Amino acid sequence: MNQWEVFVNDVKELAEDRELELTLRTLNPGIHKFTYQRVKCQLSSDLAKHVDQLQVRLGRGQLSPSRFSIRVLGEVQRLPAKYL
Amino acid sequence: MAAPRSNREFVEACIAAGDAVRIKQEVDWENEAGAIVRRACELAAPAPFMEKIKDYPGFSYFGAPLSTYRRMAIALGLDPATRLPEIGKEYLKRTNGEVIAPVVIDRKDAPCKENVLRGADVDLCRLPVPLVHDGDGGRYVGTWHAVVTRHPVRGDVNWGMYRQMMFDSRTMSGAVFPFSDLGKALNDYYLPRGESCPFATAIGLSPLAAMAACAPSPIPEPELVGMLAGEPARLVKCETNDLEVPADAEIILEGEICPDYKVEEGPFGEYTGYRTSPRDFRVTFRVNCITYRNNATMTISNMGVPQDEGQLLRSFSLGLELEKLLKSQGIPVTGVYMHPRSTHHMMIVGVKPTYSGVAQQIGQLAFGSKLGPWFHMVMVVDDQTDIYNWDEVYHAFCTRCHPENGIHIYRNSPGTPLYPFATPQERKYSIGSKVVFDCLWPTDWDKINDVPTLVSFKNVYPQHIQDKVLANWAAYGYPPVK
Ligand SMILES: Cc1cc2nc3c(=O)[nH]c(=O)nc-3n(C[C@H](O)[C@H](O)[C@H](O)COP(=O)(O)O)c2cc1C
Repeated sequence: MNQWEVFVNDVKELAEDRELELTLRTLNPGIHKFTYQRVKCQLSSDLAKHVDQLQVRLGRGQLSPSRFSIRVLGEVQRLPAKYL
Repeated sequence: MAAPRSNREFVEACIAAGDAVRIKQEVDWENEAGAIVRRACELAAPAPFMEKIKDYPGFSYFGAPLSTYRRMAIALGLDPATRLPEIGKEYLKRTNGEVIAPVVIDRKDAPCKENVLRGADVDLCRLPVPLVHDGDGGRYVGTWHAVVTRHPVRGDVNWGMYRQMMFDSRTMSGAVFPFSDLGKALNDYYLPRGESCPFATAIGLSPLAAMAACAPSPIPEPELVGMLAGEPARLVKCETNDLEVPADAEIILEGEICPDYKVEEGPFGEYTGYRTSPRDFRVTFRVNCITYRNNATMTISNMGVPQDEGQLLRSFSLGLELEKLLKSQGIPVTGVYMHPRSTHHMMIVGVKPTYSGVAQQIGQLAFGSKLGPWFHMVMVVDDQTDIYNWDEVYHAFCTRCHPENGIHIYRNSPGTPLYPFATPQERKYSIGSKVVFDCLWPTDWDKINDVPTLVSFKNVYPQHIQDKVLANWAAYGYPPVK
């Protein structure tokens, strides 16, 4: 199971059961904790629906009580190829 | 006492003076180190030198490097007990003196080259990048550092302290405000051309190099450090670009600023004492090479409520640079001071009020200068008021500033997204508004009949009575006055 976190201004941005593109950071323990990826994913407020879990922070870092289960569908590459 | 040449010499000097403590037990890079630094700032306690960091054997942290005037005095090679305004006078003397150019040393003599990571080995997570405050948008690599760039046309070098968040193993996002030197170079040149801008971030600098990186001085920083230290700064060429970095720095990150790649930055605890500026797409830095000293120390500034170096050092240098500017314009100023607790929002200017409108003239120059976006209040008092004594300044403000004639407001001026009181719209577009508090008696008042007499011990009693009372104070039965 992976632990993820997302920053949003409003929890309403996190629509359920459809494909979303989000910038997530990993909360898995280890030296890479808090690094980000841009991903396509699906969310559900049913915490048992997907294996991975997502917690939410609001605009100024406040932890939101909303929790989701999440399925990461794949990484989105925003970095132009010339920098790779 | 010589000014410490490196962060290491500075840590030792602070420990010797009782102004830093060695923490031997392991601390966690996630929140714990940040919380220690924050508490040290809020208590004005000695700076924490944390020798053992969870997950990062061989690295250490040095926090709150310049959050007290004692440590600022040590940084300048002065007696730690030196106080304001003497520290300020020393800064003015050194920065008004001869320019001292840096020297470039051989790579093999540069401690910052002891370890070099290139290619697939480049991973910012190999460095103990701290999560400074719980709820920050990320782990911040650059909180007490210098971002080194060279102007693409003029060729002059800029070192600026612009916060940098680790986005992923090779990417950082930073807050470089549009009115800063780097912000102007990016907006004028690199962004319109779509060209990437070479940069190097130096972390764990000598305290004077860090002071130069956040001083709003027109003198290029490599020379400013030399002038502050009284000897040339030692620089070394980067591995992957033509920039030169301080050879004694603990950690160097080399790379390019990408005009066409945007990632999110923030939120972050800021010098105003709040997390104000919104998470946003700012400036993106790609890291191509990391070099660092053996047993490298990462420096941490933890900004929040007073007092940290964001407030103390910036108040210090903003005030003194404004004093230089006003004097260069012939304004009869007697001193300029920013109280760190104002989170460098209020300039207090002492002036000989020899002509009318001088308070507004000072305000217009201050707000119209390069320093202007960083503060929004200018309070002008006369030369009889001690600008360093808040009790006196506050009394002058509350009693001499006319609510209608003494308060002058300027709208639509440059601001920063960090102003806690600014509207969301103003923050988004860095729009400011400013105010001058004129606490001078109007020059057209009759000095004998209209200007009130200050009723104080110093002002209303004849000198011989004052001397007698002072001489007999203990005899009257009072304890000595500290
Ligand atoms: C701890 C600390 C953090 C700072 N962070 C930022 C920042 O993120 N962005 C910024 O534009 N200025 C920041 N500053 C202020 C700049 O360092 C300062 O304006 C400096 O003079 C560089 O600006 P310049 O390029 O205009 O010379 C910070 C200052 C300190 C002391």
